Amino acid sequence: MIIAVSGKGGTGKTLLSSLLIKALSEKNILAIDADPDSNLPEALGVEVIKTVGDVREELKIDTAKGNIPQDVNKWDILDYKIMESVVETPKFDLLVMGRPEGSGCYCAVNNMLRKIIETLSANYDYIVIDTEAGLEHLSRRTTQNVDIMLVVTDKSKRGILTAQRIGELSKELDINFKKMFLVVNRINPDNKDIIIKKVKETGIEIIGTIYEDEEVAEYDIEGSPLVNLSDNSNSVVTVKKIVSRILNSN
Amino acid sequence: MFEDIPVDVSPMYEGERIRAANMFVELAGPKSIGAELVQVKQDVKNGKVNVIGPNLSEMKEGEIYPFGIFIEIMGDKLEKELEGVIERRTHELCNYIKGFMHLNQRDQIWCRVSKEAKDAGFELEHLGKALSILFKEEFPIIEAISITLYTDKKEVEAFIEKTTQKYEERDARARELSDEDVDVFYGCVMCQSFAPTHTCIVTPDRTALCGAINWFDCRAAAKMDPDGPIFEIEKGKVLDEIKGEYANVNAVMADKSQGTVDRVYLHSVFGYPHTSCGCFEAVAFYIPELDGVGIVDRDFKGETPLGIPFSAMAGQCSGGKQVEGFAGLSLEYMRSPKFLQADNGYERIIWLPKAIKDSLIDFIPEDLADKIPTEEDANSIKEIRKFLREKNHPIIERLKETKKTIKEIDPVEDETSKDMETIPEIEVGEVPIAQVAYAPELTIPSTSGGVKIIFKNAKIYAEKLIIKRK
Repeated sequence: MIIAVSGKGGTGKTLLSSLLIKALSEKNILAIDADPDSNLPEALGVEVIKTVGDVREELKIDTAKGNIPQDVNKWDILDYKIMESVVETPKFDLLVMGRPEGSGCYCAVNNMLRKIIETLSANYDYIVIDTEAGLEHLSRRTTQNVDIMLVVTDKSKRGILTAQRIGELSKELDINFKKMFLVVNRINPDNKDIIIKKVKETGIEIIGTIYEDEEVAEYDIEGSPLVNLSDNSNSVVTVKKIVSRILNSN
Repeated sequence: MFEDIPVDVSPMYEGERIRAANMFVELAGPKSIGAELVQVKQDVKNGKVNVIGPNLSEMKEGEIYPFGIFIEIMGDKLEKELEGVIERRTHELCNYIKGFMHLNQRDQIWCRVSKEAKDAGFELEHLGKALSILFKEEFPIIEAISITLYTDKKEVEAFIEKTTQKYEERDARARELSDEDVDVFYGCVMCQSFAPTHTCIVTPDRTALCGAINWFDCRAAAKMDPDGPIFEIEKGKVLDEIKGEYANVNAVMADKSQGTVDRVYLHSVFGYPHTSCGCFEAVAFYIPELDGVGIVDRDFKGETPLGIPFSAMAGQCSGGKQVEGFAGLSLEYMRSPKFLQADNGYERIIWLPKAIKDSLIDFIPEDLADKIPTEEDANSIKEIRKFLREKNHPIIERLKETKKTIKEIDPVEDETSKDMETIPEIEVGEVPIAQVAYAPELTIPSTSGGVKIIFKNAKIYAEKLIIKRK
C-alpha cells in the first residue's frame, strides 16, 4: 500500500509522515522523502549519506567524463547506487529524493530511476511518501500510483485553499487515488467547530484532526526526532487512529 | 531440477531486495570487496563447485564478508568474446534464487543472504549448483561449467587483481566495437513529448544526443523495459557507410515522425543530418565563411562565433527539427572514431569551447590539437580565420582548393579577385558590418499561393539598421 502525504508547506506534512511511519514501523515499510525542502530524516532521527539527486548527478558527471566502461550498463550502476542510498534501520527503510535536477537532459536517467524505484518499492508492504509542498507532484504525475492520498491542512486560509486545489487538480488530471482523505492539524477545542466547517468546503473527507500539541512544539524547538514522541502523546495516539481507519477503509 | 537446493529458484524472485532488517549476511558491496568473472577455458570439470573461505554456516549474522564468483565454462562454440555477455547474466540468474540478492556487475557486485534462506539450510554450494544449472539452461552452448566462490579475504583480493586485468582487456575490445560489428541498432523516443518528430538513433559509434545512453545501455533497456521508449532496429541495408545512412533507420525515422523526416545521415551535419531533440549536450554548427564546423556545449555560457549563445542556437534546431548545417550531439560522440566522419571529423572542426577541448584532448588527432581555436583564441569569424592561418589548420588548404575549383569553373572570378590568398567571403572593410539576423531556416510567407520560398542558412548583413516609427 502506498500512502502519500501532501499539502501546503508548513502545515505538518512531516509530522504526519513521521508519525505514520512510527505507527506502521513494525511492518515492512519504506519511507520516501520526496520534498527537497523537507526534514523527514531529522524527524525520523536518521542520517542520510546520499540522496537520489546525488546519485543522478554522480552518474551524469561520470558519463560526461567517459568514466564508465562502455559495456557496463547504467541500469546496474544506478540500481546499486540507489540501494546504497537507502537508509536502513531495524524499523523502517528511508529513501531521500534530494535536490532537484540541474541543467541538461534528465529524461534517460529519470526514466531508469523510475523503473528502479518501482522495483525497489515492490519489496515493501507499506510505502509512505512525504511529497513536496504544493501541487507539482500531481502535475508531474509522480504520485500517480498512490493508493491513499492524505492531504494535510492547518487552520490557515492558504492551507485549506491548497488542500482544495489538490482535490480539484487530481480530478482534473484524472489521477485516481483509491482514497483521498484530509487531516486537519494544529487546531484546538475552542476553534475546532469553526475550522471544521471551513475545511469541509474542500469536499475532501476528514479522517482525523490533530490538536495543537505542546510536546510536538517542544520537540520542534529542540530539533528532536518526532518519531521519539512518547506513545501516549496526543499526536501519536491520533495518527495511530488514522492508520487503523486507513487500514479498515481498504 | 533444483530438488537439492533448499530454497525456491525461479525468475519470479527477480527484483527481490533483502532489507538490512531481514538480512543474515552481506557479501561484497560498498563496505567490502568483491568481483565476478566468467572465463572460457579448456578442461573444465562439469558441475564442480568450490567454496574457498568460510561457508554461510560458518558466518556470523549481520556481518559483511568479501566475495568472489569465478565461473569457468567450456564448449566447442564458446568464444572469448562471449565472456562479457555471459557474465552479465550472473546478476539476473543469481536473483532467481529466493533469499539471495545480487546487484550490479564486475568488481562492483553487492550480495545479501536472507535470514529465511539461512534457516532453510542454504549454503554457498547451493548458489554454485543453481548457477551451474541456470547458465547451462540459458546458454546451451556451454558444455561444461565449474564455479568457484571465494569468501576468504586474501583469496578475494587475489581474484580481484586477476579480474581487473580481464576487464581491461574486455574494455579495449568494447571500445573497438563499431557499427559494422552489430546487426542491431536502437531507437529512442523518450524525448518525443517535446520533440514529436525526433527519434534518437543509437549505434555502437553514436551515443544518444543527451549523452546518457549508449548502445549497451539501450540493449539492456530494450530487454528490461520491452514496452519502454527504447526499441531495436534491425540494421538492414547499408545505403552509405561513410555518411551512415541505413534503409531501416530511414524507415523508422519516417514512421516515428509521421513522415516529417524520412532520411538521416548518422555521421554528418550536411544533407540530412540527424534530427535534434532539445536535450543534446552540444551542437555542431556550420560556419559557411570558413567552410568549417564549430561545436558549442550546453555549459558554455558565452556567445559562439555566430554571434549567438548555445541557448539561442539550440532553440533554432531543437524540437525534432532536421536543419542542415546543425546537429545536436553528445560529448561521448566526440570520442567516437566515426565522429562526423562524412565531414572529415576533427579536420573540419574550427572552433570549440576550451572546457570540452580539454576533456576530449586524447581523442583529437595529435597534429590538430593546437590548431583548433577555443574562446580563448578567437571569438569571431575574422579571429578564427587569422588563428587557422597562423596554425595552418587543414581547413585553409581546403578553402584554397575550393577557390581553385571556383576559378576553374568560373573564369570571371579571376578578374574580380586578384589576390590568391583571399578566401571567398564578404571581406570586412573600413565599415564594420554587423550581422543582424541569422536563421538556419527561414520560410517567407507567400501571398500568391502555390510557391513556398525557403532560405537555408540565410545570413543577413547590413551596414546600417534603421528602425522608424510609422
